[in-house]
Amino acid sequence: MSTIEELNPGLKDFGAYEFGWADSDAAGATARRGLSEEVVRDISTLKSEPEWMTKIRFKALRLFEKKPMPTWGSDLSKLDFQNIKYFVKSTEKQATSWDDLPEDIRNTYDKLGIPEAEKQQMVGGVTAQYESEVVYHQIREDLEEQGVIFTDADTGLREHPELFKEYFGSVIPPGDNKFASLNTAVWSGGSFVYVPPGVHVEIPLQAYFRINTENMGQFERTLIIADEGSYVHYVEGCTAPVYSSDSLHSAVVEIVVKKNARVRYTTIQNWSTNVYNLVTQRATCAEGATMEWIDANMGSKVTMKYPACYLLGDHARGDTLSIAFAGENQHQDAGAKMVHAAPNTSSTIVSKSVARRGGRSSYRGLVQILEGAKHSKSSVVCDALLVDQISRSDTYPYVDVREDDVQMGHEATVSKVSADQLFYLQSRGMTEQEAMGMIVRGFVEPIARELPMEYALELNRLIELQMEGAVG
Amino acid sequence: MSLLTDKATTHTDPSSLASGAAVPDVSRGARKTSFDVADFPVPHGREEDWRFTPVDRLSGLFTDHPTDGLGTGSEAASVTVQAPDEVLVSTLAPGDAPRGTALVPADRAAVVASAQTEKALHLTIPAEAELAEPVRLTVTGHGAGRRSNGHCVIEAKHHSKAMVIVTHEGSADHTGNLEVIVGDGADLTVVTLQQWDDDANHLGQHDALVGNSATYKHIAVTLGGAIVRINSNVRYAGSGGDATLLGVYFADAGQHLEHRSFVDHNAPHCTSHVTYKGALQGQSAHTVWVGDVLIRAEAEGIETYEQNRNLVLTDGARADSVPNLEIETGEIIGAGHASSTGRFDDEQLFYLQARGIPERDARRLVVRGFFADVVSKIRVPEVVDAVMEAIEIELSQATE
Repeated sequence: MSTIEELNPGLKDFGAYEFGWADSDAAGATARRGLSEEVVRDISTLKSEPEWMTKIRFKALRLFEKKPMPTWGSDLSKLDFQNIKYFVKSTEKQATSWDDLPEDIRNTYDKLGIPEAEKQQMVGGVTAQYESEVVYHQIREDLEEQGVIFTDADTGLREHPELFKEYFGSVIPPGDNKFASLNTAVWSGGSFVYVPPGVHVEIPLQAYFRINTENMGQFERTLIIADEGSYVHYVEGCTAPVYSSDSLHSAVVEIVVKKNARVRYTTIQNWSTNVYNLVTQRATCAEGATMEWIDANMGSKVTMKYPACYLLGDHARGDTLSIAFAGENQHQDAGAKMVHAAPNTSSTIVSKSVARRGGRSSYRGLVQILEGAKHSKSSVVCDALLVDQISRSDTYPYVDVREDDVQMGHEATVSKVSADQLFYLQSRGMTEQEAMGMIVRGFVEPIARELPMEYALELNRLIELQMEGAVG
Repeated sequence: MSLLTDKATTHTDPSSLASGAAVPDVSRGARKTSFDVADFPVPHGREEDWRFTPVDRLSGLFTDHPTDGLGTGSEAASVTVQAPDEVLVSTLAPGDAPRGTALVPADRAAVVASAQTEKALHLTIPAEAELAEPVRLTVTGHGAGRRSNGHCVIEAKHHSKAMVIVTHEGSADHTGNLEVIVGDGADLTVVTLQQWDDDANHLGQHDALVGNSATYKHIAVTLGGAIVRINSNVRYAGSGGDATLLGVYFADAGQHLEHRSFVDHNAPHCTSHVTYKGALQGQSAHTVWVGDVLIRAEAEGIETYEQNRNLVLTDGARADSVPNLEIETGEIIGAGHASSTGRFDDEQLFYLQARGIPERDARRLVVRGFFADVVSKIRVPEVVDAVMEAIEIELSQATE
């Protein structure tokens, strides 16, 4: 810890957030602020993109300018688009060995434990994005031999233009919402994954997103295509330094799950509390396909994020497990969206949220059962845990059923940690804080057990940190 | 054509980038209420509280216009009052207390009806009076498309016990505000029956202020009308209040039946229970239920539960169901909500048919069973009878 604290003396006061250090920042300091046509053109020129992509970027920019800010959800009025840096290049060349990275970037990833996880073969591939671009990338050879493509999105566009063009924007069009438009206009980095028919990627592919500079806008674009009967698990994690002014993370994640394929997408979001996290994630599921979102929102100042499944084929299935922790000055507006567009489709949403120290956690969801989606089933369960008197928890589900032959249920409960529970544990020798941590861990356990082991441990550790000082 | 150089057609408008204007309401409690018509523009249908409603068919109710035929003796709708002797019946001009105590208009239709009602009907149930018979109000519409405004204030003084049954029949374009003040320790039940003809449109805002340890029950039974939208809202004037909001609705082809409720837990140790159940049959039958509950920081020790169940009987019907819950304190006994939409349970049908009950009767039994628990909570024999009879009629139409 000492080196981290030396790097950033303010960290000690901040307490729980342990990823708040900042590296030296020559690239960020000189980067241009604000959004304009020139910025979009420069990004596209720098990447030597094909003309179709440039055109989409400009179209998206105009859509972004035209679309009003959302009037629901979180308060975004302090978000100043002209103070954001839209593109920051931190290193000239993408590395395939950690040693090739500039020293302070390498140190950052060391501290985050990424190379260690890779060494221990816990992941099938790693991509690490620092500011606007992917700085490190590696995939296991055996996966490559089976035809699995796992690159950063910029390389994906360069090396697989046909595939990329076919699917880019097919799940989330440029005009989907204001922030998807923004992402489409200025996107950079992200992952491009293609899994050939029948291939099962048994160990997760991992992406790591880091913002370093102040007022950074990170706009990664991830495109995952799981061909028929394949399986892949993609895990992403996010951190950023603590600054006094705000950064913006506005990603777009598009996933195409083909017939009988299965994709699991896990997010452990732990941005520092000066990051607006406004993300659009959506998957289309063909016949018999399964999409699973596991969405853990621990960090950020404001998160608005509702992973969606469009169930387009018979017997397609969508599952979302969502946990949100809202601490001081945090608003987690998270949830899920399920659109049933074919018969015999099913979906489940399980949401667990904990609010403390005046934080606000909201579940916002949509289940839509379109005409013709006969024999569809959906179940939504939201549980919220409040640990004090000043925090806030909201539930905004929305259900739209247009077919008679369906089953749809929604349930929500809100409870507080009772004095009885605390007393019981304390009488067995636990401190109040340990007892509180145990109750919260028990509360989120159904979701934690769905995570890969090292992430479950990480989640428990984060809960421990989050709960520090929760009592008294 | 290169978009790269096409500078004339792209311009970055700084106002669209510096967000500024859009700050969402902090909570449901922050939504606007006002007596000034100018505060509510005519809804275009994209507003949060109008997004399910076919507003284009309601333009007649949004114009700031008096009741058709006002003062001529052939008003668009007439109101008859049948009340036990103890009940005082009078009228209130705008601004006369207690008018405006419990209800401040929350949308365009309600503000227009409030402004256009010079003499609001005022019913007072005296303190400690226990009425043996219900007060009956009957609103009769006298012609489809004819515009009618109404505002009624019901005041149950402390420790009184009463029931008020409001029946809507005939046809009109009617907006009716209902303002209910439940005194300390009083026990008041308000039943609103919508038995309109097929071509009536009805918007209503029913707001109650529930006193210390008072008991309030609002029962909405909506069967008739083309578009019916009833907002039933509750606030508390002291601690220990108990509110129960019940609803039963049955939508046929082309009907739009919408029920909204907002329980504002603004006081400690109160309870609220919201239960709405509805069935839908026929092309474009549409029901909407939006149940909002806000638990403010000061509302410690409260308990709330709300639920909505919908039974879709045929193709082409649509049920929207939105339970919203906002909680600003953890010091509560409990809070929850549930919503479900389903169809006939094939297993139940099979079970009954296997015992020799013909499908038609079996379906009827399943629907009656579906409504049974909410109907049993109504506890007003004549209303229960009316509901069960109406369900029978609806079902016999369905199976013909």
